[in-house]
Amino acid sequence: MKVQPEKRENCQRGRWKKTFQIVLLLISVTIFFFVTLSISRLLEAKNQSGQKTALKLRSEEKKEWSGSQLSPLHRIPLNDEFNQKIVPVAADALPFSSRFSCEPCHSYSTVSQGSHFNFKERPAVDRRTEPWFWVDERTGIQLPVSFQKYPGFWSPEKLGLSDWKFVTLFGRHLSGGGPGEPADEFQTPDSRWNVSGKLEINCLGCHHRSPLQDHSEWVKQVMRENFRWAATAASGLGEVVGMASRLPSTWTLADGPDPDDREWAVVPQVKYNQNLFDSKNNALLDLSRPENNRCLACHSVSPRNAKSRAELERDVHLAAGLSCVDCHRNDLSHEMIRGFEGERLMRSSLKSYDYTCAGCHLGEKPEKGGYGWTGKLGAPRPTHRGIPKVHFERLACTVCHSGLLPGKEPQGVYTARANRLGIFGKAIWTSEFPLIYEPVFVREVDGKIYPERIMWPAFWAEKKGKELVPLDSEEVFRAAPEAFSLKQEVAALLNALLPLRGGDFYPAAVISDFLFEPDVDGGLKARQLEKSPFSGKQEGKQFLLVQVNDSEIIPLLPVFDPEEAPSDIEEKIQKTLENLKPLAGGRQPVFLINKYRYEISEGYLEKKEIEGEAPAEPTVGFLEGEEFQPLLSPFQVRNLVHPGAGPETLTEELVELALRKISAASPEKEFAYVAGGFLFILDKRGMLRASEHQAARAITWPLGHEVRPAQQALGKNGCTDCHSPGSKIFFGKVEARSPLKTSHRESKLGSDLMQTGPLFQFLFGVTFLFRPAFKLVLAGCVILMGLILLAVVLKITGRAAGLSGENSQRQPRS
Amino acid sequence: MLFGIFSFVLIIAISLRVTFGRYLNHLPEEKRRISLENFKSYLRWIAGWKFSFLKLSRWDRAIDYFIKWAKKNFSGWTVWVFYLMSLCYVYLASSGLFFAWFVPRGLFGFPLLLHVAAGALFAITLTVILFLKARHYLPERLNASGELSGQGFWCPLLKKSLPRIYIQAVSFWIFVLTGFLLAASTLGSMLPYFNYPAQIVFFNLHRWSAVFSVVSAILGLDSIIE
Repeated sequence: MKVQPEKRENCQRGRWKKTFQIVLLLISVTIFFFVTLSISRLLEAKNQSGQKTALKLRSEEKKEWSGSQLSPLHRIPLNDEFNQKIVPVAADALPFSSRFSCEPCHSYSTVSQGSHFNFKERPAVDRRTEPWFWVDERTGIQLPVSFQKYPGFWSPEKLGLSDWKFVTLFGRHLSGGGPGEPADEFQTPDSRWNVSGKLEINCLGCHHRSPLQDHSEWVKQVMRENFRWAATAASGLGEVVGMASRLPSTWTLADGPDPDDREWAVVPQVKYNQNLFDSKNNALLDLSRPENNRCLACHSVSPRNAKSRAELERDVHLAAGLSCVDCHRNDLSHEMIRGFEGERLMRSSLKSYDYTCAGCHLGEKPEKGGYGWTGKLGAPRPTHRGIPKVHFERLACTVCHSGLLPGKEPQGVYTARANRLGIFGKAIWTSEFPLIYEPVFVREVDGKIYPERIMWPAFWAEKKGKELVPLDSEEVFRAAPEAFSLKQEVAALLNALLPLRGGDFYPAAVISDFLFEPDVDGGLKARQLEKSPFSGKQEGKQFLLVQVNDSEIIPLLPVFDPEEAPSDIEEKIQKTLENLKPLAGGRQPVFLINKYRYEISEGYLEKKEIEGEAPAEPTVGFLEGEEFQPLLSPFQVRNLVHPGAGPETLTEELVELALRKISAASPEKEFAYVAGGFLFILDKRGMLRASEHQAARAITWPLGHEVRPAQQALGKNGCTDCHSPGSKIFFGKVEARSPLKTSHRESKLGSDLMQTGPLFQFLFGVTFLFRPAFKLVLAGCVILMGLILLAVVLKITGRAAGLSGENSQRQPRS
Repeated sequence: MLFGIFSFVLIIAISLRVTFGRYLNHLPEEKRRISLENFKSYLRWIAGWKFSFLKLSRWDRAIDYFIKWAKKNFSGWTVWVFYLMSLCYVYLASSGLFFAWFVPRGLFGFPLLLHVAAGALFAITLTVILFLKARHYLPERLNASGELSGQGFWCPLLKKSLPRIYIQAVSFWIFVLTGFLLAASTLGSMLPYFNYPAQIVFFNLHRWSAVFSVVSAILGLDSIIE
């Protein structure tokens, strides 16, 4: 059959047209995909560029590692601060200087840029760390201090804290360097660096594996202003006597010891332990990677309600045999890896992501710059079965895995640096303030939720417009001593009653349901009574004097017949009244029993008959004119019983009194007290008024430890660990605690801190009551739909294969 | 990001294609061709169409049309099942796509709660609809039905014009299949058996299924409008 040329041409044209259309379609699809992919990558890159920029402070230039995995025994000469070799037998040997002793092998200037030492210069670009806390229990101050300018953190500069003051306040938990070694231009008139010496980096504080290494000794030396001697004493290499704090500010090392004063202003001196040196005067030091105890000296945290150390749970990593520095690594730069994702302030050669939770447990894909494998340090790979993806996008790993298990409300904790833990001796170093609580879950600027610790600042301040300028605690105390020395006064009064006690008992006072007793530091501690035998008798009385021992509370004053008073009793009464004399403030101390009054007259005990109503029970007090005043004034009783056995030290009445006194000293200025999330000021009528203020808001900072075992992670028992109508996570309430006992306390729900909205979380929690039914219904639907779809697919397949329908009849087997 | 761009472009492109085809059908036969002139007038038309949606009367007409179609195809109480499914689906699609396209955080808060609740109702009603309608869209039923004639559509793959009922059937089965995948991925992510990579798979399966479900719904809707 012949095809006409015209038709053939048309056919060919049609073919070309079709080919052209197909090519055009392919090109269009390719361009579409290319453009889509390019735009999405560009946008993704732009999105991530802000997070991944690493701030490089300084790169490592010199390799100082020999290549060996061993930590050698350091048989090295120790040099003093004049770079002279120390001869331990010399009577006038100076303390060793880590700058000159370690420098020959390890660059001191490089190390001094490490994260434990250069915090003065570190910008506030990474997530917050625990600040320092300027605490004064007397005046009710707990103020967060940090060189990093995070919101709510006060810089030492703003508080007028010089390097000297900073080191004297916080040197106990400083590892030296930084503010401990200020340049000459940063030395202020209040400083005594020439006496104390510089607080050099205490290399041995972390690296010394000797059992003699003692953090408490470091603290003692720092408190005595023996800065240049502190490292030597703490290492156990030598014993240091003397106190630089007692030396005149003109003293220098060149002055040497004062031969005339061997008791009070004794110049610090070192007596080296010669067993720790060889015959060539080289010290024998076992220096290695820091042990956990060295880290825990400054970084341990414990719940306040733990009765003993045995109750504490260890971090799961430590329990598994890891050490702190396995994850928190550093090279010579001493830039510690903090171990959270997105750490920017890194200048070490190590890759910080590798040591985050995800870095060890999940690894990172090679296309994202990782190795593609996981299991670093034997980390198990988590399965996280049944946990929706959004949790990994919105929550830090630590939310479910770290910190104390969430209760109805966050628990109070002590932290080493804030509450002075890890310092051992006769005195009790642990301070009740600052009051810190954990865990609270807070949404941070990156949109993720982190478990954090929370505290509310408390301080006295001058109000300059909207700004608050914190006042120095000494200044505040001087202005209103009567408001801040209540407990000391009452403790002194009770101590004055010591002669009236018997045996191992000591005097105390019962007010309401509380027992107030003097403590060893001259303060007053309170305990709540389980059941007071005196509570019935107290009705109508303000307080009751008692004597207590470990297990018993009995009345302090013996009942006797004054008509036939035993001589030993009268002697006790005389001693008591004599002891009370200095505390009486011009009043006459007296002892009343039945219708008689004992008082001291010209050095002798005198018994007088009193007119009017006799007291029901024997009682001690003061006579002002003819008016009898009880030992504890109503003011004292009110302000003692109101805080009760709680950690608070102030009441609104005391704050009002203090503000009046401070304002009276400078009437042109306005003063305020910040506590519990509120600002307290005196209004025009002189009454205390509470209002909100930005500076009063709570501060929080993320926590990393203790990491709990996976079996104790939130969500292990299902979604309802967090999502339920009564969820502790979302509806747990944290109420501000501060040194002030007041009803004005800021409170926050968990959902407020997470910015998730309580109503939403409640409704979302309610849905979990129906979740099992929801899942069943959904499963039913999926199964039914699946079966129908399967039937359709089978039917179509059957038809296509000729197994059923028309095809099977049309094409019989031949 | 890729999902956002791709789904946005795809859905907009399908919508434009469908409306462009519908616009061409309104033109006299001799003018029905792809040309710049027609495209310009289409754009003017679509702009006017957009503004016309602000008029209540248009909504009334659209809803009337929808109700009429529903009553024609579903009898008795089943029409209410269809209404419920449609209502849930409109919310699911609009909330899901809006948050996917315009909110970096994705679906959250009260819209998420409603999304979950509407999702459950959608799954149930879709199952009922599937029970009721699956047999109507089986290939042999399609061939047996009297709807093979009438205005069709051009299938470039088969190079021939096919009846409109075919596009309805294909849309229906894609809609059912994606609905099944949507329900299955939701259920899978809630069950405590699947690990994190599986959760990622479920998440992606859910959103891609949603996109193709919307595409099938657009095509299906276009196919039922005369």
